Amino acid sequence: MTLLSDIISASAHLHSSNHLPSDEYDCRIRELVEYWRRLQTTKALESFANDESFLDRFDPAIDSIPFLFVLRVQIQKVQELNADLFPADIRPSGKLWTRAAQFLASFDGVQVRYAGREWRLLVELVGQASQAASTPLLGATLVKNAMLRLDPSCAVFTSSHLLLVRLCLQAKAYSCALPVLNKQICHFPISLGRPSSEPSVLCADHGSSVSFMTEASGVSSKISYRDYLQYFLYGGMVYMALKEWRKALHFLGIVISMPSTSSVSLIMVEAYKKWVLVGLLEKGKLIYFREQLCPPPSITTPHVVKVYQSLARPYIILAHTFERGDLKKLNAEIDAAMGVWSADKNLGLVAQVVAVFFSQTVIKLGKTFAALTMADLSKQVFPSPVCAEVTGPAVSSLIMSRALNATLVQTKDHAESSMLRFSSIHSLPRLSHELDLQSQLKQEMKLMETLLINLGETNDNLGLSDEYVDSLHKGQIWSGSSEVNPTGGETGLEMDEDLMGDMS
Amino acid sequence: MELPLLTMEQLSQLVASNPPLSQLFEALSRYELQACLISTGSNGPNAGGDDSTLLSMFYSSFFLVHLLTDQVLDARSEARALTKRIPETLLQYDPSLQNCLTLLRAVWQTQHAQVYQVLRGLPWPDALQPLVRRYESFFQDKTLIAVSRSYEAIRLATAAIHLGLDEQLAEKEDPNIISNFTKCGWSWDSESKLLHPKPIVVSPTEPQSSNGIRKAMAMLGTRAC
Repeated sequence: MTLLSDIISASAHLHSSNHLPSDEYDCRIRELVEYWRRLQTTKALESFANDESFLDRFDPAIDSIPFLFVLRVQIQKVQELNADLFPADIRPSGKLWTRAAQFLASFDGVQVRYAGREWRLLVELVGQASQAASTPLLGATLVKNAMLRLDPSCAVFTSSHLLLVRLCLQAKAYSCALPVLNKQICHFPISLGRPSSEPSVLCADHGSSVSFMTEASGVSSKISYRDYLQYFLYGGMVYMALKEWRKALHFLGIVISMPSTSSVSLIMVEAYKKWVLVGLLEKGKLIYFREQLCPPPSITTPHVVKVYQSLARPYIILAHTFERGDLKKLNAEIDAAMGVWSADKNLGLVAQVVAVFFSQTVIKLGKTFAALTMADLSKQVFPSPVCAEVTGPAVSSLIMSRALNATLVQTKDHAESSMLRFSSIHSLPRLSHELDLQSQLKQEMKLMETLLINLGETNDNLGLSDEYVDSLHKGQIWSGSSEVNPTGGETGLEMDEDLMGDMS
Repeated sequence: MELPLLTMEQLSQLVASNPPLSQLFEALSRYELQACLISTGSNGPNAGGDDSTLLSMFYSSFFLVHLLTDQVLDARSEARALTKRIPETLLQYDPSLQNCLTLLRAVWQTQHAQVYQVLRGLPWPDALQPLVRRYESFFQDKTLIAVSRSYEAIRLATAAIHLGLDEQLAEKEDPNIISNFTKCGWSWDSESKLLHPKPIVVSPTEPQSSNGIRKAMAMLGTRAC
């Protein structure tokens, strides 16, 4: 009875602290979390572990910390009593699952910053239990909502990111991952911070979530190089499933340009193979850089590029054949390496490459011709004669889906072939294009705003004040530019190198 | 906000109330979790013998609502992903879901005549009729916009096929068919027997302003050095 009244009064104490200044509220929550951790370690909560109605005393939106700790204890108890790691109570629609779902949908994001480890364990449990029950969609939805609730910017990479994308792929609920995937990741959880600095007031309003999503907070388990690669590979796969080729290319580009000193991860090789195919689907060609054969983004080291090219030979041959525009040879190459596509699980992408060959060939013709009749177009595209009845609807479909910027001119006579005009006289599509461009610019602006906020935070964490960067910049100009930037790379890279030199 | 239990009555009521698309999509997205539990038999004591009818109705409705969200996302990919989440046995044997698959194929291959045929000719349950009709009207409008932008001159019969109008009447130059297009500002040349479409521009949902661009440029200016 004493413990119960103690618990109730400790929670009530926090309710009355809402109006306090941040630093005092911070102290109160820290005390409350310590109190609950103590109760947990001393097994004092054992008596409530089987009491289902005990959680009714707490509202997860207001008493997030007590609710979370009691729920954790009850889950542990159920797991101890059952040989199964995911007994019925924890699985979807089980009693504790329902409680967990209630919590993850309504917890107070500020309070949970102080109990990051317990929050993360619950999120992981929900994800794993949904997988065990073959209902990953349920886990994915809860994990996504919980992540966005804790950190709406999702700018700090955590182990939950990988869990979410994996669940979404398993559930085939690709768009469920988008609210997180579409956010820019700007940080890893930072370590304890500068030794001289005061512990951060977690409950304060922070410009960037990196201030409270720290390594010490426990919101993320230990992240490895592999986790990071997998997240971006899986993210790329989500975009591929949704046919958002440009975003898929971006994600795969991150994987294949990962710095590597000696060995190359198989994940990177896998991403490279997909990158070649997605490049064909998006741009209709191999992506060239500085006249070299199919290298990935500029920051990829040359030895890694060589490894890719030797391990992904059939893909490069396929891409070159595609570029040459010979459908017969393309089909022959695809048939010859059928085992490779199948073993790499890229058969679906390769099939789409064939499908996109027609549209890309027609688009290329637009660079040479101003207009073509359907009959002439058929002759140009297909190796063997194909009747205009096949070409006509295919071209019309391309134009209507806006994959091809052209117009069709039919004639009165059915027997007479329609004309395809590449240089459209319609002014409105151009206007519509401008509207699209304007909305793209808006999106880019939002992205820039996010990046600027996070860049400022990164500078702070690295101890880079604006004055320091300015003096560094001036110093580089004075010392002569030829040696400062031998690669002609981005300024951010030079800055990092100089920073490291300064610290050593 | 607590969602009422997924039942036939609840679903029929939701569909028939004709709510804004975003609300309908949101509600059905949330119901998918319940549908998922029902299909795995984890919905506890409420599970009944009519589960397959309920699931068929739910997934068919959600499928059509996916197709209706075409302005926002590539609806075809989303709808296709949904069909991968439907329990395999249900998908294989349920007539409504089979209709959905045929519809998806026709939409995917932009076979407009086939799309109208599936929507009008195949048997759809009464409860789904409001969504089927809504999609038909949506598809017709969307195609009209696309045709107006894609053709400089088009035969009346071809336009009629795209819009799901009577092709034979179009061949006979029926004035009613012609007026369907001329009222959109298209011109009909009776000599050449061709329609000349006037491109239709859809105004963006959000008001566009050039302030955004100025702000973006200013931001770039402060960072470029």
